[in-house]
Order: sequence, then C-alpha cells, then structure tokens
Amino acid sequence: MPATRSRPLGGALGVDVDAALDLVGGVLKWVGPAFLAPAAVAVAAREPPWPFLAAGALTSLSGVLLDQLTHERRDDRIGPREGFLVVALVWLLVPAFGALPFLFGHVPQLSAPLNAYFEAMSGFTATGATVVDNLDRLGRSMLFWRQLTHWLGGMGIIILAVAVLPRLRVGGRRLLQAELAGPAEIEPLTATIRQTARRLWSLYVGLSVVSTLVLAAFGWLGLDRTLDLFDAFSYATSAVALGGFSPRNGSASTLAPITQWALCATMVVAGINFLRLFRLLVQRQVRAVSRDEELRLYLALFTLAGVLLLAEVLADGIATGETALRETAFQAISTMTTTGLAVADYTKWGALATMTLLLLMFIGASAGSTGGSIKVVRHLLLFRIVRRELMTAAHTDMVVPVRVNGVAIDERALRSAVGFVALYLLTFALGSLGLVIVAQHAHSGLGVFEAIGASASCLGNVGAGFGFAGPFGSYAPFSDLSTAILTAQMWLGRVEIIPVIVLLTRSFWRG
Amino acid sequence: MQIIVVGAGHVGTTIVEALHDDHELAVVDLDARRLQDLAYAYDVRTVPGNGASRRVLQDAGVESADLVLASTARVEANLVAAMLVRRLSNAATIVRTTNVEYLESWREGYLDVDYMVSSEIETAREIASAITVPAARATEMFADGQVQIVEFDIPRDGGGSTLVGRPLAQAELPPDSTVSCIVRDDAIVPARAQQEIRPGDRLIIIGSPDAARAWSRHLAPEDRPIDDVVIFGAGRAGATVAQELLDRGIRVRVVEPDAERAQRMAAELPRARVFHATGADRQFLRRERIGQAAAVVTATGNDAKSLYLAILARSIGVPYTLGVVDDPVSVAVFEQAGVNVAVNPRNETAEAMIRFAHDPRTRQVAMLDDDRFEVLDIVVREESAIANMHFRDMPHTSSVIGAVVRDGVAVFPRGDDVLLPGDRAIILAEAARVAAIERAL
Repeated sequence: MPATRSRPLGGALGVDVDAALDLVGGVLKWVGPAFLAPAAVAVAAREPPWPFLAAGALTSLSGVLLDQLTHERRDDRIGPREGFLVVALVWLLVPAFGALPFLFGHVPQLSAPLNAYFEAMSGFTATGATVVDNLDRLGRSMLFWRQLTHWLGGMGIIILAVAVLPRLRVGGRRLLQAELAGPAEIEPLTATIRQTARRLWSLYVGLSVVSTLVLAAFGWLGLDRTLDLFDAFSYATSAVALGGFSPRNGSASTLAPITQWALCATMVVAGINFLRLFRLLVQRQVRAVSRDEELRLYLALFTLAGVLLLAEVLADGIATGETALRETAFQAISTMTTTGLAVADYTKWGALATMTLLLLMFIGASAGSTGGSIKVVRHLLLFRIVRRELMTAAHTDMVVPVRVNGVAIDERALRSAVGFVALYLLTFALGSLGLVIVAQHAHSGLGVFEAIGASASCLGNVGAGFGFAGPFGSYAPFSDLSTAILTAQMWLGRVEIIPVIVLLTRSFWRG
Repeated sequence: MQIIVVGAGHVGTTIVEALHDDHELAVVDLDARRLQDLAYAYDVRTVPGNGASRRVLQDAGVESADLVLASTARVEANLVAAMLVRRLSNAATIVRTTNVEYLESWREGYLDVDYMVSSEIETAREIASAITVPAARATEMFADGQVQIVEFDIPRDGGGSTLVGRPLAQAELPPDSTVSCIVRDDAIVPARAQQEIRPGDRLIIIGSPDAARAWSRHLAPEDRPIDDVVIFGAGRAGATVAQELLDRGIRVRVVEPDAERAQRMAAELPRARVFHATGADRQFLRRERIGQAAAVVTATGNDAKSLYLAILARSIGVPYTLGVVDDPVSVAVFEQAGVNVAVNPRNETAEAMIRFAHDPRTRQVAMLDDDRFEVLDIVVREESAIANMHFRDMPHTSSVIGAVVRDGVAVFPRGDDVLLPGDRAIILAEAARVAAIERAL
C-alpha cells in the first residue's frame, strides 16, 4: 500500500490516492459496529463474543487510523479513477477484516488464514461458496456472522455508505455507479444519489424483513417444523442477497416444500432491478415496469431453463410430479440469479441439466439487483449489437442505434458492455486454466469440468459448483493456491472486474 | 379588417403583399430600413420596434386590431407578442413557429394562441402530398391534414383507368372521397351520379389522404406508387418530412453526412433507415441502390447542394425529385432545372397565415385551377338555410361540400348524412360565388 502522508508520491500520480484511502477509512470505520450483532448472538447462545468484539475494534481502529493519516480535502472530488480505487480496495479489505472472527475463534476448517479469507470473501460478495464440510461444528454466532456478511455485501457496503454517510454526498454518484451491478447507463437515475441509495437499501431491508417473517411464520404455524427464527433469518438473507450460504448441511434440501417455494419467489424478486422494483412497488408504475425488456427476458430465461431441466429430470425418472417441478424450478432460479442454494443434488442429473446449469451461471440476474455474473441486460445488448452487425454488414453506411425499451443506448455504454463481457469470459478462462495448472502440479484429481464449474461459479458469485464443489459439497479439497485464485475471482466478479483490472494499467496511475 | 403583422422578413412581406389591398395593415419590425422598403411598395403603416414589447404593440394600434400575425423567425418573440396581444385586445393571434414541441403544447391547449403555423410541418405536408398523389396536378391539405383536395387531369387516352367511361354511381370510387367537380372543355360539369368521367377531363376530388392516394393509383395505374423515398439531409426539414412520410406508410431512407445528426435522427425515428454518408459518393449511391428509389427529397439546408443532389439523383435513374429550398428565389431555379417539386418553407408559412386573414369564420382558403375555384372552410351557423338538411336534399349548384369537420374529426358526407350547425364545412366553390356561399352558411 502506498505511503499515506499528505502528498504521498508528489504530483507524479494521476490518482488522488490520499482522497481514496480517506474514503476507504471512512467506510471501514463504520463496518466495525456491524460486528456487535454476532457478538450479541454469541452472548445469547453462550458462546464467546470476544472474537467479534476484537475483530470489530480492529476494523474500526484501522478505519480511524486511515482516516487520520490521510487528509480529507473538501475541495477534492472523487473522480472516476478514485472511484475505481475505492471500490476495489473496499471489497478487498472488508472481507479481510470480516475473516478475523473465524481466525480469532479458531473455527474448525476456517482457522487457516486463506480459508477464512475465502469464506469471508464468499460471504461479502454474496457468492455462497464454502470451505466448511460440516456446518454443524460451527457455533450459532459464527453461522450468524456468515449470513450477516451476505446481507451486508448483497446490496453493497458502499451503497449503504452513500445512503447514510454525509461526507459521501460529493462524488457518491461515481461510487454508486461503480458498485451497482450492471451497466449504470441503462437506467438513468432520476432521483438524487442519496435518495437512490436510500431507495435501494430500504427496499432491500424491507424485502429481507418480509421474507424472514414469512419463513418464520411457516415455522410458527407448523408448516415447516424445522424452522426457527434463526433459520428463517438465515435462509431469507441468503435468498434476498442472492448469496447461497446455509446455516445447515444440505443447503435448502432439508426445508419443507412450501419453504422452498417461498425461497424461489424471494430469489426471483431479489433478482429484479431494485430501481425498477421501487417504481413498481412504491411508485406503482405497473405498465412501464411490466413492459421492461430486461424483466421480460429475465422471466423468459427462467422459464426456458426450467423447462429444459424439467424435461431432463422427468425423462431420466429422477423425480416426478410436484417434486420434479419444485426441484427444477428452484435450481434454475437459484443458479441463474447466482444464489447457489440447492434443494437437490443436481450433480446426479444428466448432461443436459448440467450443461443448462453451467450456462445459466453466465447469465445472472438483472442489472441493479443483488446478483452477480454478466446480467440479463448485457445479454440483451449483446444480442442487439450482433443483430446490428449483421445488418450493417449488408449496409455499411447505415446508422442503427441499439435500443432498450425503445430508447437508443449511448455508443459508449455499448462498447463498455461488450468490453465487460469479453473481460468476463477472459477472466473465466484464465481462472479455469489456473485451477487446472495448479491441480496438475499438485497431482490432485481435479477434473476439467470441476475446474470450469468452480471458475464460473466463483466469478459469477453463484457459489455451488460441480463435482466435489457441488451444492452439498465444499471447496475444502482445493489447494491453497487454487483457493487464492477462486477468492480473487469472487472479488473480481463482485466489483465487475473493470475497477480491479484498470488498476493494473499504467495509464491509470499516470497524471 | 385591421391586421398587425409582426416581422417584415420574407414571410411578413409575402403576407403584406397578399393582404394590403383588402385590409388595413400595420407592420412592426426592428429593422427600420426593411420597413421603409415596405412602406414605399405598399400602402401600409409601419412601426419600428420590438413586436414583443407592449409599447410598440400599442403604437401599432393593437387595441382596435382584429388580427395579429406574428411572423418573425424568432419563435419565442412571436409567442411573447401573442401573449401580450391576448392581454391588450380581443384580436385573434396567429404565431409562426419552427419548433414542433411548441406546436404540440398548443394542440394540447396549453398555449393561448388562436393558431400556430409550423414552417416545417407545412413544408413536410406539401412534400408528402406531392409524393402520395403523384398523378395530381395540384393538391392542398386542410383540417390538420385530415382532408385533402386534389386536382387530377385524366389523360386523353384514358390512362387505362377503370374509373373512366362509367357513370359515377357505378364506378368503384375510393371510399371517403367526393368528386366535387368536373371541368370539361373549360366548362364546369356538376358531378351528378349519372355523369361519367371522360378522357381529358379535369377532376377535383375532396377526400381523406388515403382516398387521395387511392385515386392517384386508379388514375395512373401504370405508374408505380411512390413507396420508397430517399431524403438527403437530416436537419429539421428532413426530419419532419421523414416523419410525415413514415406516418403515411412510406418507406424512408435518410442520408446525412454529419455523424452526430445521423445518430440523432436514427435515435428519434426508429422506422427510418439512416445512412451516414454524403449523397454525392458514387460508391455509396451504387451500394445502396439509391437509383432504384421511387423519389428523392433534397433538404440539405444549402440550395446549391440540394439542387446538385437532385440532379445527380435524376441522372442515376430516380424518376421523381423534390427539393426543400431555403431561398424563395431558388424555387424557380429548381423548377427550371427539372426538379419536379420545389417547396420553400417561408412561402408555405406565409400562405398558411394568409388563409386566416379572410372571413374570421373561414379557417382556410385555397385557390385551385388557376384561381377559378376557391376552397372554403366555413363554420355552419344556426340560422343557415341549409343547416340540419340532408345532403341529398341540398340545392344543386356548382359548389359542393366535400367534407365536414365535426368535433375535430373529418367526415366525408353521404346523401343521408345531415349538415349540423357548428360543423366546419369544406367547400369547393367557383370564385365568383364565394361571397354568396359565405352568406348562405
């Protein structure tokens, strides 16, 4: 990390590292108090609360230190470069501090720093990949902390900061757009940036509360006897954040059918663009939202994937009736929205189902949702760009705007969408290649398909992969180096790659 | 009538030229020299100053004026003038605008102006009607483009049309249209049911734009209808023409050398195909088969360039060329050079504004067949002799009610329809009988 004195590296740098670190410190300072929640759970469950208290204190202290060492200059504006730096650093550092309780608490299988970091990264990025084989050996407070990281990371720490921290009033738009999933240019933000951030978070909180209460009610009413408030909260946050952590072994398969259907509904809603959801639920613009092309494609893709999976499951006689419908619908929704919860071990399904699920990992939820991966709207754009290419191949001088919902999309936004998809596929390819190289070297029996699945799953923030990393398995068998690769992929996937890759270019740092 | 004309530019001067004989005119303009020229040429009062100021309007006698025509090129100034007039007197106001958005606000009733004339839309309608009824000798639009009056010449050999040589009652006439008048050997023949259309006749038809197109197809069946138009230039004029043609179901291609303008056009008009190229690029013209287009409209904003492109288009095989010309003088140049139709926005605007200076009840008037006929647009009064009468019972004269605008919608009356008070009747009449008709209604 560069020195943090008043004028760190003189005027040679084109990036105001000082201002960026100052902001990171400001955010970190306020992540600390979040550790009080699991500490309270620990006290209630008669578990030691100090791992959380110590980690929280360390986090806040680091934040304050960073804040003190750097100088906040009121006249400074957070430009695009500083925005990238802040986003990349926040998503690198927050999971690092989030991993501390696992280390301090000597949690089985999470006591190795790399594993703990993997688990925390998986939590904050709402991936849901775990290195824990047996969750029953984790205490309640640790399980709670895992779910809380999902919930904090799902809608985004920085968006939350923009919503509540007054100092982010200036420059917040850049940060919000850098963190909000998907191409920001598609849905112009009509409200002020603070209003937007508050709308996103209040909707997110509202959805989480409703979902938790519905699940808890199933438990109280005896519809699902295994559910208590803790489990209800855990599964609800997992679904709303499109994360995938589960408080029990066997993911969501031990839940009653009605609970599983409720989770399906939650995931579908959480995978919709929250700004559009706000227009639908609060501003009641039903017609405009129901005509939204991304929403329609999003729902159509579910249906298509569900039908493919159902055909396979029925043809192979794996399940029948309501069970077949529920399992295939759940897996299609869970995989496409990049949640990664599972009600059935799809690794035992046939080739068509496996292929369908792998491809779904590359689709993702809507822009502006809590999901990861490429996002539906980028696929829509890509399809229309290709169609335009075919048209202009015959008419070279023709000017054909690419439209979404009838509005012509700016060429720069189109270029960035194409660039993103290319970068995404490249990152996926290099990641799987890296996993295979590491496995060859270590003579471990990692198959090509498992490597591909793990790479696609982590980069897309899905969680569950194939083979031993399947829905009921864990990432524990991966070697340290592989774990590091997968951790990096989760980080890249959550910040949508560009804020990180751009830091590696020389022109980023130049004046 | 006392009329104040704000603006002594080309539009204002054309208005003065047309109205100075019959009305008392006062002209307001900032440019004292222009006013002086006008005062020497016509017997009008001139008031130097800004027409958008209260004092100047009062100097021009706004309190006693019947009509104010705001004709400057500055749209906002015209609007301010109209707002002032509304407060200062009871005069009707007509405003010239180049901004289609203002026109929309006016149509929705948010701008307190009696009538708005858009240069772009008048021009686009003129171009569109020439394209949709290519067989016409002349054509005019009424009632916001809902009613079209068309003059056709039947070829001496009949042109192969099935409508020729058959009594009107038996011929399959396009719906929503009336044969208002037949001119045969310079004499007017009333268009009765037993009458037939003969080769060499001249017909005057009143009908919907669709009906006018159908007539054109019937009368010149061997001419292919113009369904594929290339417009050079994506400026305001080109864009409005494109929109007008698209609304009539004609395929439109637009060629624009400026990248940004081409982008904007493509974004605004999803149904038009926009090309970023110069119209003079031979490779481009060949690649896109521009020579096979049925018509070319040049609207580049530069008359010399437009003329060049129109001639180039003809040389590569485009049968029908039209031009939007900036300078009124260029109209003659274009026509001399063989461009089929040349339209000048300022002339169109002036004409549209002049139509209102007639009887206050008369919304629009056009001249047809070298001023032999006038087309009137008159609101029917309660006490009129033919109000509440069936159309089939109306007296047979040489004048015909071709269409009625009732509650803003055009109706093409049949024999059993009734003419109601408050209807706007669109009437074709011999020029000599206009005064009698105005009295009768």
